[in-house]
Amino acid sequence: MFAQFLFISSALLTLGGAVAVLVTKNIMHSCIYLLASLIGIAGLYATLGADFVAVTQIMVYVGGVVILMLFAVMLTGGKDFVSRAQNLLGLAPSMGNRWTFSVGILVALVFLATNIKLILNVSKSIPAKTFGNEFPSTVNQIGHLLVKEHVLAFELSSVLLLGALVGAAIIARPRKQ
Amino acid sequence: MNQTVVSYLSQYEFYDVLLAAFGKNEGLLAFAIYLLGGVIIVGLCATIGGLGTFAERKISADIQQRLGPNRVGPYGILQFLADGVKMMTKEDVMPFTADKMLFYLAPMLALVGVFATLAVLPFSSGLMMADLNVGIFYLIAISSLVGVSVFLGGYASNSKWSMLGGMRGASQIISYEIPVTISILAVTLLAGGMSFGTIMSHQRGLPTNWFIFHNPFAFIAGFVYFIGALAETNRAPFDLPEAESELVSGYHTEYTGMRFGFFALAEYIEVFVVCGVGAALFLGGSNLPFDISFDIIPLQLLEVVIFMSKALALYYVVIWIRWTFPRLRVDQLMAICWKYLTPIAIFNLIGCAVWVVVFNGKSIAELIFGH
Repeated sequence: MFAQFLFISSALLTLGGAVAVLVTKNIMHSCIYLLASLIGIAGLYATLGADFVAVTQIMVYVGGVVILMLFAVMLTGGKDFVSRAQNLLGLAPSMGNRWTFSVGILVALVFLATNIKLILNVSKSIPAKTFGNEFPSTVNQIGHLLVKEHVLAFELSSVLLLGALVGAAIIARPRKQ
Repeated sequence: MNQTVVSYLSQYEFYDVLLAAFGKNEGLLAFAIYLLGGVIIVGLCATIGGLGTFAERKISADIQQRLGPNRVGPYGILQFLADGVKMMTKEDVMPFTADKMLFYLAPMLALVGVFATLAVLPFSSGLMMADLNVGIFYLIAISSLVGVSVFLGGYASNSKWSMLGGMRGASQIISYEIPVTISILAVTLLAGGMSFGTIMSHQRGLPTNWFIFHNPFAFIAGFVYFIGALAETNRAPFDLPEAESELVSGYHTEYTGMRFGFFALAEYIEVFVVCGVGAALFLGGSNLPFDISFDIIPLQLLEVVIFMSKALALYYVVIWIRWTFPRLRVDQLMAICWKYLTPIAIFNLIGCAVWVVVFNGKSIAELIFGH
């Protein structure tokens, strides 16, 4: 019963937050609704028993991404972007013309098709890969997988992050005149 | 899997009696236990937060050779209740140009972020609400809500002081999260797990088993954690977000009444939480200084007392530091974080990893005295 309650409330939070992000006209508010939606996704992970992923979701998105978004919005103007001319259905603030809308719809359709294909495959293969009682917790499982089977991806992503860090340092560095 | 207060209590006989009273409905009983435990812990910690304001004023008075609050109750100890009543009856003012929704949301987010951390705070080995496998990671993650609330409070007030305070607060909290998290990582490396139960079970017995005395790197990591935690909770000498001589009162300048009270309460409870985490990670947590083979509820209560006394001793140090050191400048603050604490923390992490490999995870005391 508790699992159902958790699932329904997190699903409602996710969907409600996502809809509110689209509908609201204030960009700061939409950041906050996005926060709610991301916390809902963490709740969905928790329903699936993936506690480490759920916590990572909160850590990365709430602690990092949303605060950075708020900073970026504030430093680039914020309230002045309230609404523009071309409103689709008069609902959402729009930031484009017919050309961008048609490209956006095309991308959305491709994305939807890919997702449906993925989800259908998942529902066919019912016996999920289980690890048994070999590990006491999901943390141990993930750690084991990261440094044993997926060590190349792990190292490559760390190199990517290091590159991003060095790049940011170079951009932010004061230039000599 | 995850240990909780329910799974702990279920080993006793009275659990079966309670279960019968709830009509064999385990879910309902678990819900009742969680509800009761949550009410007790939130009430307790809110009282500690309230008493924290009193302690702050009394200790600062001692340091400055004043008397401090001494009118309400014996030694003025009921002063915080009087303050609470005053805050609740004050007029709730909102600036005309404020962003209404965010203005109302910010203080609540601060309290939610702090209260959510109480779920994993290890008051004793059995009576903590939930001993999650990802316990310490969960605590770091959920407490970042406080950073969002500081920033939102500053933005929504639509005043220059608040805005500057909010931006300082957010950047400070993000920056100091890095050395703090890396120091905590060094401890999880030594303990071999992220749950508070695992971490505390490695520090059983005499203080020589505490992680702060485990090896020289862990010793430094303890201090790095403490300095970073001071900065994360916006305490002096890192209280730039609310620096009263520069920014009036920072991100909560425009808040009045109980909304200001929420921010203040959240800050004092958060200080207690980081002190508790410091006690659990580095100072042995709630472990008794001797080994006992049996486990009864009064023993657990004794563990709660031990944990509380360690956490409150750290709380005293936090207040002591506040009234001793002058405030830093913004550039000094960032230089301390990025040029000193972060490299030291990374060095500690590598040092701890090497220590675990070379000495097979043994502490200094074990190496000297045998075991």
